[in-house]
Amino acid sequence: MTAVPGGKFLVTGPAGFLGQRVVRHLSEAGRAVRAVVRPGTGPGALDACLRGVKHANVEMVEASFNDFAALRRAVDGVDVILHIAASTQGSAASQVANTVVGSDNLFRATIEAGTPRFVLVSSFGVIGASRAPRASLIDESVGIDPHPEWRDPYSFAKHRQETLAWTYQRESKLPLVVVRPGPIFGPGQPILGSRVGLKLFGLFLHLGGGSVVPLTYVDNCADAVIQAGLVPGIEGEVFCIVDDDLPTSRQLLRRYRRQVAPIRFVPVPFTALRQIARLNAGYTRRTNGHLPAVFTPYKVDAMWKGHCYSNAKAKRLLQWGPATPMEEALDVTLASQSRPK
Amino acid sequence: MDEGGVLLRIAIVGCGQIADAHIQEIRRIPGATVEAVCDVNYHMAEQAAARFQVPRLYTDLGRMLGDVRPDVVHVTTPPRSHLPIARMLAEQGAHAYIEKPFTATAAEAEELVDCATRAGVLACVGHCNAYDSAFLRLRRLCDEGHLGDVVHVDTVMGYNLAGPFGAVMMGDPTHWVHDLPGGIAQNNISHPLSLLLPFLPDERPVVSALGQRCRPARYGDARDRFFDEIRVTLLGSRGTASLQFSSRVRPPQMYATVHGTKAYATASLDSRTLRLVHGASMPGPFARVQWAYRDRHEAAREFRRNLAALVRAELHFFEGMHELIRRFYLAIQGKQEMPVPMAEALRATRILEEIFTQCDRRAEEA
Repeated sequence: MTAVPGGKFLVTGPAGFLGQRVVRHLSEAGRAVRAVVRPGTGPGALDACLRGVKHANVEMVEASFNDFAALRRAVDGVDVILHIAASTQGSAASQVANTVVGSDNLFRATIEAGTPRFVLVSSFGVIGASRAPRASLIDESVGIDPHPEWRDPYSFAKHRQETLAWTYQRESKLPLVVVRPGPIFGPGQPILGSRVGLKLFGLFLHLGGGSVVPLTYVDNCADAVIQAGLVPGIEGEVFCIVDDDLPTSRQLLRRYRRQVAPIRFVPVPFTALRQIARLNAGYTRRTNGHLPAVFTPYKVDAMWKGHCYSNAKAKRLLQWGPATPMEEALDVTLASQSRPK
Repeated sequence: MDEGGVLLRIAIVGCGQIADAHIQEIRRIPGATVEAVCDVNYHMAEQAAARFQVPRLYTDLGRMLGDVRPDVVHVTTPPRSHLPIARMLAEQGAHAYIEKPFTATAAEAEELVDCATRAGVLACVGHCNAYDSAFLRLRRLCDEGHLGDVVHVDTVMGYNLAGPFGAVMMGDPTHWVHDLPGGIAQNNISHPLSLLLPFLPDERPVVSALGQRCRPARYGDARDRFFDEIRVTLLGSRGTASLQFSSRVRPPQMYATVHGTKAYATASLDSRTLRLVHGASMPGPFARVQWAYRDRHEAAREFRRNLAALVRAELHFFEGMHELIRRFYLAIQGKQEMPVPMAEALRATRILEEIFTQCDRRAEEA
């Protein structure tokens, strides 16, 4: 059932949160991995994630994403590329410089090398959920966001990255498979992300209300990414990756307060949030950016409108399923975040 | 423009992080419109055009100049490219607002000024911190004689290497900043230097500079080589100045203290506050109480001032850049003097070069 039974995988972003788990899972399965790291990363960057794995076959290669020649050498002789690296912080311009400009070089290097499979780890942030009706299903059939410039810098850069990948797929036959994970959680990553709420002036604003949070546990997501590199005949497909039994934002916050810390919070209902967003956007426009547009109606609709999510296509075509149940994944994650007494 | 109604067509070359600030501040100036953006990388030009609804984007500067015929081009590219770009702008008769540092070397600065002068265009270096309202108030205090004669100026700049720009630069050994003779310090100390130069009019003050690398070497490449602590003293005919650049002090902030024969005053650009210190007139232990009371009075006034500015939406982050751009545009129209004359940009570049030459020499000697 695999496209490359003995093939070699190239992983970008191997020292990142998801990348480490992908490298570990590949190594546990006995697969050869070439891990592309930034120059100066140091040879021990993957030691922690490979601890306890016997006979890991991981080759670390230093290459800057601005250096096409180095990337071209890195992709030589690999069968599957799992492109996970992306900038997650900073201004839109710097995220585009890191995520899009660098990916452009990698896409071209892949096409030139004739690599059989390229998996792009994209994001839920590229989906045009803003215009989808309230409580509607968000899956692969929902188009890409028509106005990513109205979203956050990360979503904007990922949108540009994925759009570019599809252009190379159409015009230059990039053997592309796109994986769009929801927010990835696990030990070492804060679980109260923006879909649950955000901290402002020392208070936690609970924004999600009863909305379902489209989470995916890091190990489950790593499995899906690897499957996207292995399953034959899925070039040109896109997969939304979320786990089963997704919690609502309220459930998640309640559990966090019980198991980690009894944080003070202020619930902000969707209708109030939308009014705040209108005021915020209007003020930002009138004052030429005196305060940033943290909330805009467009962002609010995309994030907290109360959509539901499906992983049916991934289950069907990738033969994937979340190996770690949500209950167990949340327990492990919350236990890692609770302070020792 | 607000003062005269003349419309200016603006273009941006170089669409990295700082270009965002330029576009935002230009758009706050009535009558000035950003007509086009240009970057050698299509993705960078496209992202700026998309996010700011700029009608035209280019990857070729010559083509943009030919098509758009801008009155002013904001040059927000790496410093090594400033001279060749400025040459092209001068040939097309476009004025230039050039991000700091003006150029990478003094020789380049001389050529740039010469080139602009021959073409009859203006080039303004982005010494925008000198146009922050707190610093302008400090200068007004001096001009009005509240401080007496200026004896000494201290400027301090703290820099966070893990901040938005620092993190990008530290993550990439091929980043353009590593190509500057003074690295990240050269990219930044134009700002504190621009705060002290108005009080030190000598063309060539005596410079003494020391650079240190206090962070542990981790990478084995350019990221380990730049100075992260710089100390400079400047000796002029009528006074002295010191400049401190530090990547370790917290909070990282920029401020200037002007010491005069009557009083001293500190302008903090991060808190956007001014503190005038007269000392105390009371005797003995009462002086301690009076001094603290006067400090409290200064702080209370600045608190009220900033609170009112917050309500009036006047605390924009790049306020100094806005004011400098506004004054530059007025100078282009002949309505006021050049805010930063080209000769001043050249003087600052020569001093910067002397600073980093000395830092390198002393590091080699050590």
